[in-house]
Amino acid sequence: MGALRRVGRDPANPWQQIDPFLLLIPVLIGLIGVVMVYSATRNGLQIDGGDPYFYAKRQLVYVVLGAGIMAVSLLVDYRAYRDHAVLIYLGVLVPMLVVLSPLGSKVNGAQSWLVLGPVQLQPAELAKVAMLLALAAWFGAAQGALTTEHLFRGLLVAGLPIGLILLQPDLGSSLVLVAIVLGVVVVAGIKPRLLLALAMTAVLLAVGIFQSGRVADYQRDRLSVFLHADTETGGRSDAAFQLAESKTAIGAGGLAGAGLFNGSQTKLRFVPEQQTDFIFTVVGEEFGFIGSALLLILYGLLVWRIWLVAQGSRDMFSTLLCAGVLVMLVFQVFENMGMTMGIMPITGIPLPFMSYGGSAMVTMFLAVGLVLNVHMRRFI
Amino acid sequence: MSVARPSGAAGQAGPQLRLNVIGIVVISLFVALTTRLWYLQVMAGSEYKLAANENQVRTIYEPAPRGRILDRDGQVLVDNRISYVVAIDRTKFNDLEPGRAKKLTEDLGVLLGLPVDEVVKRMDNKRLGPFTPVPIAEDVNEDLLVEIRERQQEFPSVVTRRVAVRFYPRGRLASHVLGYVGEINSDELKKRGDPYRAGDLIGRSGVESTYEADLRGLAGERQIEVDRRGRPVRVIKHRPPKQGNDLVLSIDADVQQVAEEALGTSMATARHVRFDDGKWLKANAGSVVVLDAQEGSVVAMASLPDYDPGALVDGISTEEYAALNQPGDAAFLNRAIQGEYAPGSTWKLVTGLAALRTGLIPPNYTINDTGTYQIKNCKEGCVKRNAGAHPYGSVDMRRALAVSSDVFFYSLGDAFWARRGEFGKNPMQDMAAELGFGSTTGVQLTHERDGRVLTPDGLKELSTNEKTAKLFPFGDWYVGHNVNFAIGQGETTVTPMQLANAYATFVNGGTRYQPNIALRVDRQAGEGETPTVVRTISPRIARTLALAPEVRGPVLAGLRDVTRFAVTATGDGTVAGVFDGFPLAQYPILGKTGTAQATPKQDTALFVAAAPADAPRYVVSVVVEQGGFGSVAAAPVARKIFGFLSGLENGAPVQPVTGSE
Repeated sequence: MGALRRVGRDPANPWQQIDPFLLLIPVLIGLIGVVMVYSATRNGLQIDGGDPYFYAKRQLVYVVLGAGIMAVSLLVDYRAYRDHAVLIYLGVLVPMLVVLSPLGSKVNGAQSWLVLGPVQLQPAELAKVAMLLALAAWFGAAQGALTTEHLFRGLLVAGLPIGLILLQPDLGSSLVLVAIVLGVVVVAGIKPRLLLALAMTAVLLAVGIFQSGRVADYQRDRLSVFLHADTETGGRSDAAFQLAESKTAIGAGGLAGAGLFNGSQTKLRFVPEQQTDFIFTVVGEEFGFIGSALLLILYGLLVWRIWLVAQGSRDMFSTLLCAGVLVMLVFQVFENMGMTMGIMPITGIPLPFMSYGGSAMVTMFLAVGLVLNVHMRRFI
Repeated sequence: MSVARPSGAAGQAGPQLRLNVIGIVVISLFVALTTRLWYLQVMAGSEYKLAANENQVRTIYEPAPRGRILDRDGQVLVDNRISYVVAIDRTKFNDLEPGRAKKLTEDLGVLLGLPVDEVVKRMDNKRLGPFTPVPIAEDVNEDLLVEIRERQQEFPSVVTRRVAVRFYPRGRLASHVLGYVGEINSDELKKRGDPYRAGDLIGRSGVESTYEADLRGLAGERQIEVDRRGRPVRVIKHRPPKQGNDLVLSIDADVQQVAEEALGTSMATARHVRFDDGKWLKANAGSVVVLDAQEGSVVAMASLPDYDPGALVDGISTEEYAALNQPGDAAFLNRAIQGEYAPGSTWKLVTGLAALRTGLIPPNYTINDTGTYQIKNCKEGCVKRNAGAHPYGSVDMRRALAVSSDVFFYSLGDAFWARRGEFGKNPMQDMAAELGFGSTTGVQLTHERDGRVLTPDGLKELSTNEKTAKLFPFGDWYVGHNVNFAIGQGETTVTPMQLANAYATFVNGGTRYQPNIALRVDRQAGEGETPTVVRTISPRIARTLALAPEVRGPVLAGLRDVTRFAVTATGDGTVAGVFDGFPLAQYPILGKTGTAQATPKQDTALFVAAAPADAPRYVVSVVVEQGGFGSVAAAPVARKIFGFLSGLENGAPVQPVTGSE
């Protein structure tokens, strides 16, 4: 734990207390992502007569934008965010309601996009951070053991955005929120009995949602492909094809990978949605096991630093905030990589800092920024 | 934890402990990811690499046109022509929305004149790979093809192709020799393996089958890199198809045509003759074999009824196939090598040679033929007669052959059996085997039959074998068997090919060939260039027989007299009348007739002949099923063929007749 000891630095000066890991790893992964997005999209763009750098350029802008927003967010003491958590929470709920109105746009079967002139936004992404702030503030304020009443009020806070996201319906994002909630309540000290009850409710709810007909066909396909892997039932759907090609791309990478821009699955665009949810297949195919493991190590380092910050934070709010960011990051990494490798069902969850897309990028930078913020101001 | 902790931190033990729990969960998730990665990339990596390669590269096979089949002078007997095929690319068809797909099958059905069900049925071809377009209609009109191409938007997933199919410029000529081709079936595919693929054509009979390897050629291969939607990105490799080599047969198309026409005419004529039973002769089938006795090759081989190989090109229905295989009419049967007939008097060659070479009789052995023969030491059915009990008087080997005296040969069969202690039980059978009877001649054609030469021991075996005991209930060989055997009756059967080959062996001085059907394999050249010879098919000698002049002489003389008048006091050669007027002085012909009982059918007419008699080159055997007398139904066919071969009858000489070559 010596890494956190900043001997000779002024504990009162937050800018001397910045953890370079937390600052640089997201940027590094983001830049790798830009190259991967370029590899995944250049051929398709070229064939269609477009600029092969189109997506890569935009992704670079997202990385810079995300890092910039994170930097700006550091100017403000994290406790200010805590104190205005309700405002932020409500501020995000508004676009989430708007997106469900005819003003929202449908992409991939979910009413999840808000188009404001040249800017397109996925409010569900921002909701992750907003909800986490509100939850951490609520449970952080509680002293001693978590009462049932306190818990339920907290769940109400979480339930509103989750419900709105399910209405879109965006199953993936709502799952991330559920994971965050679980992580926060566990660290907050939920009684095992209540945790069990909560988990069971979540399962029942999930089954209920699945049976309700609110779930699109493609989502059923995805789950059935996962449950009946390599059998006839799931064999012909788009999801099965996507999964098969995804696994083929990763597997074909072998130990050392095909080399940058050399993966045939990637070059010939066999993996659908490769630049977004399936960006990891580019890493897998072109850099092989060695490159993939290195990427995992980068994520691992990031998670480890967040965990350390959570451990070393000065108040419950900070601990819960960091724990929430940690769970969000880990859940998304695990679910995203897991689905590309066929050990998790396919859901539309982006790979943090890598998948093409601005909202998710900015959200992840904001989340890590909060952890940085907690860390740099832990002495004041 | 020695973390520098701000004083008064909310560092309760609780959340830290719970964070540890979360840390453990996180570690296990990362371990799971790493494990899965290891499995996919390192343990199963090579399989996925293969899969990725297959994804990427699509191989399209372009079938090679088969080689042509030519007659010995280069006349084309089998060629290729272009057939237009309408097919459906199933990968694209399956991408169509259901309504569009249904409309497409309907439109296509209307255009091709097929019911929709039939279109759907043909599309469901399980033998072809998913990327091979399924043929829906073959040999379609070119206008239709143009129409489909012009209206391509209305027919998505429909592709049109040009394929080479067999074309027979001479129609039915030599159909049995040529054979036919068909699509390879799954059993053959399993057996043959590479380089055969589903949908390939394969020779099914005749030389198409036996020279499959030469005729087949090498399929072209086009490897294309494709993207996820199967759209070609670039051609990686292209090897154009290589047409198969040309096969030059030993068949002479002109002789073949004469043989087929003569046989057909003779059969038609025979149907206007009444048989002993008072009914018209059926003369329902027949065959001709013309051999080059010096070269050991087949010059012509005809079998009637025949079939039109061109009609098989687009495939035939089960009904049509059954019709062609109907018993009694079996048009697919090549009777020249698959018909098995009692040889009748043509067998006397065997008996005569056996008697002379064993020393059973001296060359000048003479008997008085009274028309009947009394078997010595015999209890039942002991009196045998010549045809019509005709008495020929004093006959020796030469005269007995010329007039076809059964009595003379009965006596030989009787004597052989009586003196079996001296010559063994099989002296005649041994002679027959040496002349090639009882086993296939080895000509390069499919499904040749063995015929049957029965020995006393063989009969015993047949009567004790469960499978054959019903047909041969009595296993003992009596003198009667031997007497019958001597004149080619009883259980003996021969194929017309064996008959011709045995006589060829005799007339060429004792060299028995495995007759060749082809002379060489050529690689066809471009316009105006001479083809290059890939390989020459050399004569194949099965065995050589030592035939001393005193053995060969009397038999040869007897066979020569067959075409002559007044060879005995009371008789002419059996076909003297048939060859009346033929310039025998210029082109002497020897031969032997046969009229074999085929109860319950009418008699089989046989005639084997060779010419020119002084140094015979060509041997002709003619067999007409239910044709009555050999001299009537069979011999005239041989006369026409020799007339053509010698150039002395029916047209100008084709080639100078020389002694030997």
